[in-house]
Amino acid sequence: MPESIPAENATTDRADEQHLREWLVGRVAEHLKMPVDDIEPDVPLSDYGLDSLYALSVAAEIEDHLGFAVDPTMMWDNPTINALLDALAEELADAA
Amino acid sequence: MTASLAPAALPARLHDLEARFGDPFAPDNPLGFVPILDADERGEMFAAGEQALHDYGLNAEFVPAELGGRLTRLDHLVEIMRSVYRRDPCLGLGYGASSFIAGVNIWTAANEEQRRAAAGLLLGNKRIAVAYHELAHGNDMAHTEFSALPSAEGLLLNGRKEVISNIGRAEAVVIFARTSARPGSRSHSQVLVDTSRIPAERVRHLPRYRTTGMRGVQLGGIEFRDCPLPADAILGAPGQGLETALRSFQVTRTTLVSMFTGVVDSGLRTTLRHARDRRLYGRAAAELPHVRSVITGAFSDLLTADCFATVATRALHLLPAETSIYAQAVKFFVSKVLMDAMTRLSSVLGAHFYIREGASGLFQKLLRDIQPAGFGHAARAACQVSLMPQLPLLARRSWLHDGSAPAELFRPGADLPPLDFGRLAISAGGRERLSTSLAGGLAAMPDDTSPAGTELRSYGEHFAEELVRLAEECTTLSPAELSVTASSHTYDLATRYVRVLVAAACFETWRHARADGDPFLGDPAWAAAALHRLRAPLGAPPPALPEHLEESLWHELSVRYDRSLAFGLMPRPLAGSG
Repeated sequence: MPESIPAENATTDRADEQHLREWLVGRVAEHLKMPVDDIEPDVPLSDYGLDSLYALSVAAEIEDHLGFAVDPTMMWDNPTINALLDALAEELADAA
Repeated sequence: MTASLAPAALPARLHDLEARFGDPFAPDNPLGFVPILDADERGEMFAAGEQALHDYGLNAEFVPAELGGRLTRLDHLVEIMRSVYRRDPCLGLGYGASSFIAGVNIWTAANEEQRRAAAGLLLGNKRIAVAYHELAHGNDMAHTEFSALPSAEGLLLNGRKEVISNIGRAEAVVIFARTSARPGSRSHSQVLVDTSRIPAERVRHLPRYRTTGMRGVQLGGIEFRDCPLPADAILGAPGQGLETALRSFQVTRTTLVSMFTGVVDSGLRTTLRHARDRRLYGRAAAELPHVRSVITGAFSDLLTADCFATVATRALHLLPAETSIYAQAVKFFVSKVLMDAMTRLSSVLGAHFYIREGASGLFQKLLRDIQPAGFGHAARAACQVSLMPQLPLLARRSWLHDGSAPAELFRPGADLPPLDFGRLAISAGGRERLSTSLAGGLAAMPDDTSPAGTELRSYGEHFAEELVRLAEECTTLSPAELSVTASSHTYDLATRYVRVLVAAACFETWRHARADGDPFLGDPAWAAAALHRLRAPLGAPPPALPEHLEESLWHELSVRYDRSLAFGLMPRPLAGSG
């Protein structure tokens, strides 16, 4: 969790975080043609078949969704849903 | 009439190389087509040719100037190599293509010490092989099994690499290996192995693979068993392998296939020679309308392929953020156009294309030698698969916006900024400006009411509209339709997009050539012919050219043949001229 956000925004941020998590899992599930519930947040997405080039198009969708540039290799360096969300939270905090 | 380019634009060393090769048709030339055919018959590299390239110092063309070589511009490198491919494609590929590919990997990823060592090797006329390929995995790099895993003494090499050019005679080899057991995209690296330092009991060379064409190229394999390697053999940081591959392939996929235009140049020359000499039904074959039609069609296709490849090569200097797209498109398009042109030319030669000696004996070798353009180093289908996931993004971010590439992209021979391997990006993020340059060019198109000018405008508008149609179709593609298991229809979308890129490249090259006053490239005929043939429905053969376009191109081709000038975008003087 980013530490710089004041306490009164904490509830909104958790809701935002949940939104982002749901959105992200949904997009990955769409790419993989898998049920949303089958995607475990700590399993490397390559295990589910999200290969390196395919991951780049997910990264681009994240860019469009969040409105700032996302390094295409972010998915490679953060290969699970949880790791990816942590990395994005850092980016969001920097952008704020 | 053609005008040669200003002397400053022509690398003097191209003249030097051509002069060393001499007239290819001269029967007593030790570097002519007769001994070259002979070496092909024996399935051997053309030894006299290799010596000539040693004397010329061809490897220096692969080494950046800042490391003591001559590599400053990729378009110049391509032109030098086309000279070699025109003479003997097997010599071009077999002498040093592997060293070039290995070099690009090294210039992209290695540290200073590794770069200097590699430069030293190449400048000393030694070879570096490059080993990505495993029989079980083809272009599917992520599933590489060959491993270089951490061990007590550094790394331990295990596995096989097969169908590797020059592995049997290279002093070093760049190997793509798994360097971590974890799945994912950070588990591979390139390692640079000095072949003289490998303990003999840990390695064995696999038998040579014989091929139908490029018969002299020495394809071998290598197998390692628990072979120790110092950890500093890794190029750059561990885990950068996929990234380095994606970057360096942009350079090599674009330039290597571009070199193959030299093969069609020689094929066209041989065919035209035959058609002029051969008398049938009371006239030279070259006077038969159908023969002219096929030959000018091939010339048109060569110009189109050269134009697109040249634009993409210049993009490596000018627009490195976008070349991950263009490189795939060039490899996909140029390879097929060149191969198909050769196949059609063979029909002009008739039975003579099947004979292995005599005046036209070279042709059958060229027809066999050109096939690796379609699968060597990368398969065409792999290029489509790389483009497909990007289609919706391209549609959203590029195709419906006004964007024009810088004019320098479309001025072959004009100056280029230095090549910066560090600026090559693993993904273009759906951003490219070539396709939309067409609409911009149409809006700026000078009035030209000639038949060719009118046709060019009309065809240009067709492709600009095609881009809008593609945008509508591609924005609604589901992500599941973007992987290797997509339907044929989606593969076709990628093909249609590539054609728009080619149309844009040809149109804009014409428009800027016209502004620069180039008498041939600035005349709309060649560009109208290019776009006319691009409009063929997918899978259908390109339509014959309308008579006025055919006449224009036949005239140009004949002049160039008589003056021994090259048949591509730029009419370079060849050995045997003057």
